Amino acid sequence: MNTKETIIKIMSELFEVPEEKITMDSGIGDFPKWDSLGHISLLQEIQDELDIEFEPEEIIELESVEDIVSLASEKENNK
Amino acid sequence: MIILREIQRHAKEQPHKVALIESDIEVKYLQLWQRILSASEYFKTVGSKGDRVMLAANKSVSFVYAYFGAQLAGLITVTVDSAVNSLRLKRIFDSASPIAIYGNLDGIQNEYKVIPFSEIDIEKTVDDSDLAFPNESDMADILFTTGTTGFPKGVVLSHKNEYNAATMINEFIGNTCDDVELLALPISHSFGLGRLRCTLVKGGTIDLLGSFANVKKFFREMETRKATGFGMVPASWNFLKRTSGEKIGQYADQLRYIEIGSAPMKLEDKEMLIRLLPNTRVCMHYGLTEASRSMFVCFNEEKDHLNSIGTPSPNVSAKIFGESGEEMPVGEPGELCVKGGHICCAYWGADKDKYGDSFFGKYFRTGDWGYKDENGYFYLISRKKELINVGGKKVSPIEVEEVINRVDGVADSACISVPDEVLGEAVKAFVVKGKAELSEKAIIDYAKSCLEGYKVPVCVEFIDEIPKTSSGKVQRLLLK
Repeated sequence: MNTKETIIKIMSELFEVPEEKITMDSGIGDFPKWDSLGHISLLQEIQDELDIEFEPEEIIELESVEDIVSLASEKENNK
Repeated sequence: MIILREIQRHAKEQPHKVALIESDIEVKYLQLWQRILSASEYFKTVGSKGDRVMLAANKSVSFVYAYFGAQLAGLITVTVDSAVNSLRLKRIFDSASPIAIYGNLDGIQNEYKVIPFSEIDIEKTVDDSDLAFPNESDMADILFTTGTTGFPKGVVLSHKNEYNAATMINEFIGNTCDDVELLALPISHSFGLGRLRCTLVKGGTIDLLGSFANVKKFFREMETRKATGFGMVPASWNFLKRTSGEKIGQYADQLRYIEIGSAPMKLEDKEMLIRLLPNTRVCMHYGLTEASRSMFVCFNEEKDHLNSIGTPSPNVSAKIFGESGEEMPVGEPGELCVKGGHICCAYWGADKDKYGDSFFGKYFRTGDWGYKDENGYFYLISRKKELINVGGKKVSPIEVEEVINRVDGVADSACISVPDEVLGEAVKAFVVKGKAELSEKAIIDYAKSCLEGYKVPVCVEFIDEIPKTSSGKVQRLLLK
């Protein structure tokens, strides 16, 4: 499973939405459970699952699935 | 006076001033008033004065038109969150028996007929020269509380209650018509709905932002709209801190006020806000849906009283009463009771006697246990119902939780009473583990080193999560 697929799987389980409904354009607030608490849980699970760490100045820039996948991929490549 | 008349006045006096913002939509006062009038005409065709109408609120200008339009038509609005769960919705629906549900219900549309707001949101010119407004004493809203027990209770607010609350809040915070507020709070609760009313009654501008979750958008709006204030709950601040560090400090010269409420806030967070925003009026309220914002403390100006809930709001009086309704002397604990024109006028579906039981004389019993100090500041100890009575000594669960939360490896905790053969009641702690090796003994040993013996939990149960309301209040009674 690549980074994008892993992140979408985590989101699907966390936000209780089918994977096919999650696109790269999906953003915070697009699913009822993607609220502030959901966002923190999502970032935590991604960091745990991929064994990477997001910095606060990076977190502030994350608005969409695309932002998250791109940052996570960059971190994975630099491991 | 009622809020609707003030909105009409602003539409006449400052028709081109922006009242509402939703993404790239800007609604000026004249347009807002016309949409409210159109919505009112619609509601007059489907309901009669005193009928209830349920609004499943999302943060949109259409919701605002429906909300004030229904009230102008004499209907009573029952606002629920669009993500309400089906059990809570059923209980509220059965109690309020509304004529219809408008808006959007996420996930449970099929169980009820829900009419979209677009059906009401029609642009139409309505002559308001001979308009009949609701009376001050007419019911405006029924707000169903989340409750610490989980069973919703319908709090009825009259037009006068809401006007009184909005004006006293504005007076304390110092809001003016030049304010631009970011509304990132849920609009279906007392706090968020209250912020909407406060802004519109003053003729200011309110930006209906989704939530704090998209922190980049929050700061973007802060800059583009030149926001002067916002409301938040302590959980929002925790989120902002985690996702943006101290960035809020960059807006120290722009932000005139922040209103905080709904749950306790840590002292270190209050001090951090004072440091980051030295010239902003960071005001924390104490209140209930029944008695909205009865007290305030302004962090920056009352630095010596940050652990208090403040002093009574303008035009509000507060006293501490004993069990049989006698006023308690300074420093002695009792039930916190408040008096003012903002206190709810009824409980929906309850008879007058039951509502009357909520008062000592003219003072509304908040159900909170606290005391007043010699400077007139009030302090909270606990919810009265949640106090643990250990052999006649009252123990605040919050005091015990604060100690337990300091134990290494504790992520969260909540304490309740359990029956005790000798003492009547004893303390039981529910703990969420932050690390696997945490033991019951470590918690009890630490509690013994900090607390009087009767306050130490007799047992500890490890659980996955502490039940909390959406605004972060611990629902201790659900653990019983």
